[in-house]
Amino acid sequence: MKIGDQVQNLGLRVIAIQVIAFILLGLLGARLYYLQIVKGDYYSERAESQRVRFIPIPAPRGAILDRNGKLLVDSRPTYNVVLSNEPLKKINVNDRIEEYSRGLDLDHQFVIERLNLIRQQNEFEALVLKENADMKDIAWVESHSLEFPELRVELQPQRFYPHGTTLAHVLGYVGEISPAQLKDPDYQEKGFRPGDIIGKGGLEQYYDEYLRGRPGYRKVLVDSKGRVQSELEVVRPQSGQDMVTTIDLDIQLRAEKQLAESVTKRGTITAMDPNNGELLAMASAPSFDPNVFVQASSRPEGRKQIAAYWQDEKRPLINRAIQGRYPPGSTWKIPESLAGLQQGAITVERSNLVCGGGIKIGNKFTRCMGSHGSPPLSYAITKSCDGYYYRLALKMGIEGVIKMVEDFGYDKRSGIDVPNEKVPTTPKSMMAYVLKKEGKWSDIRTVYSGIGQDTVDVTPISMLRAVAAVGMRGKMYVPHFLREFKPIAAIGTEGEHDYFPARPSLSFQHPEPKILEATPEQWDVVIKGMWGVVQGGGTAGSIRIPDFDIAGKTGTAQVAELGKDVGDKKDHAWFVSFAPAYKPEIAVVALIENVGFGGSHAAPAVKGVYESYRVARGYVPAPTADDKAE
Amino acid sequence: MVAIIEKRDLRDFDWVLTLLAVAIAAFGVWQIHNAVPTESFWTKQIFGIGIAMIAFIIVAFTDYRRLIDSAPIFYIAGLVLLLLVLTPLGVTVNGQKAWLRLPLVGQFQPSEFAKVPTVLMLAKYFAARKAGNLKLKEMLIGVSIFLGPVSLILLEPDAGQAITYFPILAAMLFLSGLKVRWVVLAAIAAVVFIPAAWYVGVETGKIKRYQQERILAITNPDQVDPRGYGYHTIQSTITVGKGGLAGIQGETETSQSVLKFLPEPQTDFIFAVTAENTGFIGCVSLLLAYALLLSLMIAGARDASDRAGMLVIMGIVCGLAFQIFMNIGMALGILPVIGVPLPLMSAGLSALLSTFVAIGFVVSVKLRRFVN
Repeated sequence: MKIGDQVQNLGLRVIAIQVIAFILLGLLGARLYYLQIVKGDYYSERAESQRVRFIPIPAPRGAILDRNGKLLVDSRPTYNVVLSNEPLKKINVNDRIEEYSRGLDLDHQFVIERLNLIRQQNEFEALVLKENADMKDIAWVESHSLEFPELRVELQPQRFYPHGTTLAHVLGYVGEISPAQLKDPDYQEKGFRPGDIIGKGGLEQYYDEYLRGRPGYRKVLVDSKGRVQSELEVVRPQSGQDMVTTIDLDIQLRAEKQLAESVTKRGTITAMDPNNGELLAMASAPSFDPNVFVQASSRPEGRKQIAAYWQDEKRPLINRAIQGRYPPGSTWKIPESLAGLQQGAITVERSNLVCGGGIKIGNKFTRCMGSHGSPPLSYAITKSCDGYYYRLALKMGIEGVIKMVEDFGYDKRSGIDVPNEKVPTTPKSMMAYVLKKEGKWSDIRTVYSGIGQDTVDVTPISMLRAVAAVGMRGKMYVPHFLREFKPIAAIGTEGEHDYFPARPSLSFQHPEPKILEATPEQWDVVIKGMWGVVQGGGTAGSIRIPDFDIAGKTGTAQVAELGKDVGDKKDHAWFVSFAPAYKPEIAVVALIENVGFGGSHAAPAVKGVYESYRVARGYVPAPTADDKAE
Repeated sequence: MVAIIEKRDLRDFDWVLTLLAVAIAAFGVWQIHNAVPTESFWTKQIFGIGIAMIAFIIVAFTDYRRLIDSAPIFYIAGLVLLLLVLTPLGVTVNGQKAWLRLPLVGQFQPSEFAKVPTVLMLAKYFAARKAGNLKLKEMLIGVSIFLGPVSLILLEPDAGQAITYFPILAAMLFLSGLKVRWVVLAAIAAVVFIPAAWYVGVETGKIKRYQQERILAITNPDQVDPRGYGYHTIQSTITVGKGGLAGIQGETETSQSVLKFLPEPQTDFIFAVTAENTGFIGCVSLLLAYALLLSLMIAGARDASDRAGMLVIMGIVCGLAFQIFMNIGMALGILPVIGVPLPLMSAGLSALLSTFVAIGFVVSVKLRRFVN
């Protein structure tokens, strides 16, 4: 039997089957050509991207030291529980929320936030789920490694503030870059990624560029479950630069102690070297513990503590030295005295003005606290005669007061090297508002502006800078914290992709000091008045230190009208000063909120700072335990 | 057995077909090694080829006509094995009871072994019928023979294996004088009814979610459940594409299968492994080898000395061609993921043995192409 013998076109039917088989094989060949030849590179890349992972190696952040090399901020090794992206793509993440928050003691909402955030990133596919994991957390992750392959424990340096609340406002803290910052073009330009740690507030923020290291990474081969098979490449990180600040920790601690011992425990003390603007101390109370922000932001109790900081009516997160604005009260009389002389409203030879126990504007009588006859300038400063300054302000006119505001820089920021400094409120900035509201600038506002009330609200740092400039006889420096950034060597091979260039040492770039023009006699008369405040029977005679002449000025800033100034509405106490009076080495400002008279509250606090300064400089021996016992 | 091999047998023996089949199987061993170099699947496969060769030689040198005469015995034996699968002797893997574990013999897949008996049974029946157009009664009897094993396989349930039986029946009917108009009608009906059945099935929930996803994964693998069947299709497509022109040639350190991105690399997705390792050149060579294999078999069908021999070969050809197309089409992401092994390539004793026995029949038919 041969196939051709058959009926029903058997031969043709067999050929048909063969043809169909060949067509199907041809179809497969065409598809192969498309996948392998046309799209080969595309699939190669896809295969590579799913088997190659970049595991970041965090770079240690630079330490922060005081001027004597004492440690202020450091990083210490901690364990973090890290969430990787790849295994998460293959599971329903909603099942995990409950498990994570229970197993790791995390806030429910926080876990949801983290899972949402990690889905938005692509390249570095890991995010910290829990910082500062303890042994219990680590054990939980290890024992659930089969169930939750997306979790792993990583060793990571964590920012540590050994002194807790001390200097917190100046140092700031670090935290994960916020979603808003990630969208900011300025940050995007620098290549930030979700989960990056950056400085928030204070020096940590201002000098973030220098403190922050450049992270490296491990390029690894992973299998489909995200398990590392082998290491392909390591790019070493470059650590951040260590920062030496101008702070003297001993003086800082003393300043904070003074605030802690004050009646309301609210206020600020700042000390500066008037010869160059180096800040020796900046205390603001109440304070906060930056470690809470760094360590506990993922825990329920930590988030509660942070929320409490934000809601606290005493506003512990505010740096009162640069963000608090207070009426300067009588401390305002120092710049005003010099301005009066400069502008010719008074002269060195004829500086007397009538006190009169006060002044009558229209039919309203505004009192002076005493009756000083017709005092000369030095005496008016020493005794803080309000009547004198009512009349001086009227003689200068509001234009003169505004000129003074501009000369002493009250209309600008001081230029201090921490962020979020506030600009004082002055007659200059209030003028437009007052004119719009009242149609004219009345004399009574000029009178009040003469004693630092009403339209005047200044930051303690602006007050310190102005008074220090008086001590320096006209040289006004920019207050700052930076002494030096230590250099860091280059990492990797030049020209290669793993190269991080060396980072040179950096010191504060001093701008030329601003010069206030006045004659030596004019300076003498103002400084003599300030000397008298402490040494000449003035308003702060109680803080006198033998062989260390302090030139100062008290201030008692009214918060509420007379009669209502009790309790929380009590006056703010001010003291501005420098010492030694005729060759200043240190200038100190103190502001204590709602305690009353400056001479009784602020001045003694400043005295403590001077004492610690004298010990720090070796002028006097440190007090022994016996001394303290007395 | 060797004693009865005559000189003439050795002369007429189809050495080319045999060597081609062995060459493809050997190529398969290399790919199984590439798929999982750390496991011993490839050595087991060599052992399997050895056993399969013995079975092959026995079948090839036995007169197929005698075997066809005994077809009902083989057929019933096949049905018994398939029934045993459904008893507690059956082994459940991935929710399917497709394996049988017998003492001494070990574990095997009866749905593979029932294939050749079904071909023989159908060939015996259709060869005996009178010439002329296929009658309805004849067709129904053919369908009944076919439904025996297929319905048992569907009870396992192993839809993938069941599907591979369809081309065997189709070949028998087509080559037994089924009117062309019926063929055309069936084609039209398929075009109309398959989408309609799909729609009704989905709407009524008769087609389960996971079954739908297997299908939907082809049209849009990234959207449909990238963790489930979509994931298989995506990974297989990536693996094939990654091979490029010449492949990674055994440098498997970063291969898709070693890193476990590709599922079932030594069995269902052995073609993807081949594509990754040997590239377009290797794959096209393999396709040409299959084309040659099928052509040699079809040539044997043309020269067959009787109708039964022709039907046996063509049944086997259609079964193999369909499996090749289903398996590779699945690896290339154009057909749904169903567990059909690639003939001669996939690791697995049952399929290897069944395929070599089938080819043994083809060689046997060719050996006796000259009418005595």
